Amino acid sequence: MAPYTSFFTRWVNYSPTLLVVLILVPVGAGLLGVLLPAFGWLPALGESTFNTRGFTALWNTAGFMSMALLSYATSLISTLIVVIISCFILASYFNSKLLSYVQRVLGPILVIPHAAAAIAIGFLIAPSGFVMRLFSPWLTGVEQPPDILLPNDPFGLSIIIGLVLKELPFILLMTLAALQQKEINHTINAHFSLAKSLGYHPFTGFFKVVLPTLYPFMRLPIYAILAYSSASIEIPLILGPNAPPTLAVAIMQWFNDVDLNLRIKASAGAIAQLFVTLLVLFSWWLFEKLVMAFAKSSLVNGRRVYADRAWRILTHCITLLIIFAIIFSLMGLILWSFAGYWSFPHAFPDTLVSTHWQNVLSQIPETLSNTLIVGVVSTSLALVLTLFALEAEQQQQKPLSTATSLLIYLPLLIPSIAFLFGIVWMKEQIGGGSVFLYVIMGHLLFVLPYVFLSMATSFRKLDQRYAAVAASLGCSPWRIFWQVKLPQLSIPMLFTYALGLAISFSQYLPTLLLGGGRINTLTTEAVALSSGSSRRLTAVYVIMQLALPALGFLLAWLIPKIIFRQRQ
Amino acid sequence: MSSQKHPSHFAATRVVHQTKCGVILLCLLMVLSFAALSQVDTNTANTKQTSAAIDLNKTKQWQHILQEAQQQTVYFYAWGGDPQVNSYIQWVAKQVLERYQVKLVHVKLAQTSDAVSRVLAEKSAQNTTNGQVDMLWINGQNFANMAKNNLLEPSWVEQLPNFTLTNPTQNPAMTRDFGVPTQGMEAPWGRAALTFYHNSKYSPNPPMTLPELQTWSRQHPGRFTYAKPPDFLGLSFLKYALIVLNQSQDPQVFKLLYETPTTNSQQLLLKPLWQFLDNLHPYLWREGSYFVNDGASLRRLVGDNEILLSFTFTAPDIPAAVARYDLPVNIRSYAMLDGSLSNVHFVGIPFNAAHKSGAKVVVNYLMSIEAQAKKQQSAVWGDSTVLDLSILKTQQQNLFASSSQHLSALPVSNSPSLSEPHPAWVNLLTEEWLKRYGAH
Repeated sequence: MAPYTSFFTRWVNYSPTLLVVLILVPVGAGLLGVLLPAFGWLPALGESTFNTRGFTALWNTAGFMSMALLSYATSLISTLIVVIISCFILASYFNSKLLSYVQRVLGPILVIPHAAAAIAIGFLIAPSGFVMRLFSPWLTGVEQPPDILLPNDPFGLSIIIGLVLKELPFILLMTLAALQQKEINHTINAHFSLAKSLGYHPFTGFFKVVLPTLYPFMRLPIYAILAYSSASIEIPLILGPNAPPTLAVAIMQWFNDVDLNLRIKASAGAIAQLFVTLLVLFSWWLFEKLVMAFAKSSLVNGRRVYADRAWRILTHCITLLIIFAIIFSLMGLILWSFAGYWSFPHAFPDTLVSTHWQNVLSQIPETLSNTLIVGVVSTSLALVLTLFALEAEQQQQKPLSTATSLLIYLPLLIPSIAFLFGIVWMKEQIGGGSVFLYVIMGHLLFVLPYVFLSMATSFRKLDQRYAAVAASLGCSPWRIFWQVKLPQLSIPMLFTYALGLAISFSQYLPTLLLGGGRINTLTTEAVALSSGSSRRLTAVYVIMQLALPALGFLLAWLIPKIIFRQRQ
Repeated sequence: MSSQKHPSHFAATRVVHQTKCGVILLCLLMVLSFAALSQVDTNTANTKQTSAAIDLNKTKQWQHILQEAQQQTVYFYAWGGDPQVNSYIQWVAKQVLERYQVKLVHVKLAQTSDAVSRVLAEKSAQNTTNGQVDMLWINGQNFANMAKNNLLEPSWVEQLPNFTLTNPTQNPAMTRDFGVPTQGMEAPWGRAALTFYHNSKYSPNPPMTLPELQTWSRQHPGRFTYAKPPDFLGLSFLKYALIVLNQSQDPQVFKLLYETPTTNSQQLLLKPLWQFLDNLHPYLWREGSYFVNDGASLRRLVGDNEILLSFTFTAPDIPAAVARYDLPVNIRSYAMLDGSLSNVHFVGIPFNAAHKSGAKVVVNYLMSIEAQAKKQQSAVWGDSTVLDLSILKTQQQNLFASSSQHLSALPVSNSPSLSEPHPAWVNLLTEEWLKRYGAH
């Protein structure tokens, strides 16, 4: 391609740099705000020498190793379960109508903020929870809730349940988004039909033929949830043990502790968390290598069937169980939002009232508009930047440097509480500026990686020949981008946009810290309320939190249907 | 609920600044002339005259603050987990807007330490004049920390006309926060005492003393728990136990609770507490292997019938929670016979607050008879007043009289009030507790 510069290509060229600057500056400053205190430098507390006091304190903390181990194990185990179930569901329902049903039922879960999901799941499995109420007292014979350690069990089982239910839809939907791309779909279907015609049973055929092609598209989402779950706050905080808690929860508690000196230990902990997260990622990478090494021979051993029926029945059971868990969680939420007093062991509230909804609806308009403005602006920015950066890759015909791609995911790798404290510090250095602007920049840090993650594979797998043909017909890069590439990407773009909105809607810490508490979104209100004890009001907010992004995904699903119907 | 109109807001403050300079100059002149006058009169001056001069001076100063406060927007960082408290602050916002043209914005916090972090971050960034936090609701450990790190504006409380209503010279609790002198850095707002509540359907006879709590737990295994330190409410329970368990000790030893702990005093005072807890924990909810993270979760557990007995620092919230359906109707509140841990909660102004005058006007209003009486009504918030009712007129006192009592509300009791130990014990308790029970 001849060098050709226009307004568009110039901006496309700048975009990867801009992207990196937008992420690197705040995260870098934030990290500095963690690294310095981790090594004992915190002038505001009169600490201005470098030492390893923080790390010593961390090491001497009772249960430090258990905290790290809990983070490591829950993250790895839950991701493993998620990947296995995803593969089973895909294998059992591949090319069948059931897949789109499963997708439709699981879709809404993706958009529930983690805190909300944890609250809902907690209510499901607690001794006084919905499951127990359904079976009491006629089956269990108890009039008062039994005293058993669920949720918050010391082994992290409840965390794993929460993470699996929450992350499964993410992996599934990301994979399905990749599958819906014509090119990938075409290759995979061709392979699959060939395998079937050679007598492979569908389940076995999927694992032998489809998965090796499909897995590369699942990889990034998997690494994202590995990193996320190893450092997540909400689910372990609500469902996890606290004697000791996971490392990330402990760090957050130290940062929030009234004893400001604990901040030094908290910063050291954040560095340790970084290592735990890296270790989780490395372990998964090793696991991939091992599976590949061991599975290679069975891929080509020619065996057509591995108890396919049994696996499919098992998948049906797992899918049903998950769907019921989700339905009961949602039902619990709805019942709580209308509940008068709801005594144990009744499975239905004693009275139904609408006061909780009236209370919330009378206060909500401004909260709602804040949520929407921040979400729309940050997601639009993220999507434009991502598309430009990916376009730059194709125009320059070389992939983004490894450093650049790694930097984009940086905000997902570092526990946000740690570097957000540093960002607040930087914000103070600059001074002034609109609070909205800061909040949007903060959201961008978390929206951008997900938008990039969700967009990159589809964009990179675009068939370059269309662009080449268009260029040979004399189209400008802008026209190729606007009229050839983007229309092919309309479905993933809409999905990505809805995902970006959902991520923005669910941000708590960036909104609170960068907005100085002056911008209230649905999530900040819900979390502030959940620190109080009104489960009913919390339920109303959680439902609102759920409805808003669900609307986004509904639109993402409906718009292409309507447009394509018009075209036909 | 917080509306943000930056450009216009900045323009407005600039205008205020210009007039501000004039006002400050004027005041300076007045103060100087007063000083000159009193010097001329030194020979004949009696105490009455000087105090009148000081009073006049104070009034002028207050007029100046009132003027400066107009059109300011004050950001009040306060815990936002309680719907009753939130709507009371809304009511205050309406009043101060009508009376003083001060716009009050409640920034709802999940925990107060978030605001402390913010001020700390601002200080480390050398933001000394334009802080985001104008007022914050604190006491105890948060206050001790902020005071130690010079994060609070000193000596402003005496400027407030309504502060005299608390009768601070006769009432040392108004100027000491958990035993630490407030030095005018924070103004008293309300009073709270540790109140217990129980489910009378399943536990008609609740424990009335700490030893009874031990026996009650054995009879009702798994039906009582407390929140994990460093949660405020959990620590309050530990402090209550610490005080009660050491009451039988030599008064010289008991006194050590109100001083900074030493190795010796730790040895003497903490031992009975650990013994008590070692015996209690096996009979707690989840056999003491898991403790909830905060006080609100305790109330949720009572609401779910998982536990039958709990405690709170906001006694009036119990009947309110029953009315909101968050607690069952057969909940009853009571005070322990061997004493109730009591403390005062305060409002502070950070050293770098951008709208100090506005904040002072709001704080002064919070301490007014009207606002304090409203706050004490159980239907509003039910937080006990900090005003000294004995120095008020009968008519004013009547404003504080309680209306009809809710069945779940705290009946009048003669439970002795136990004052908070020195705040340094809080850190120590947290640390030692976590060492013993924090990791299995």
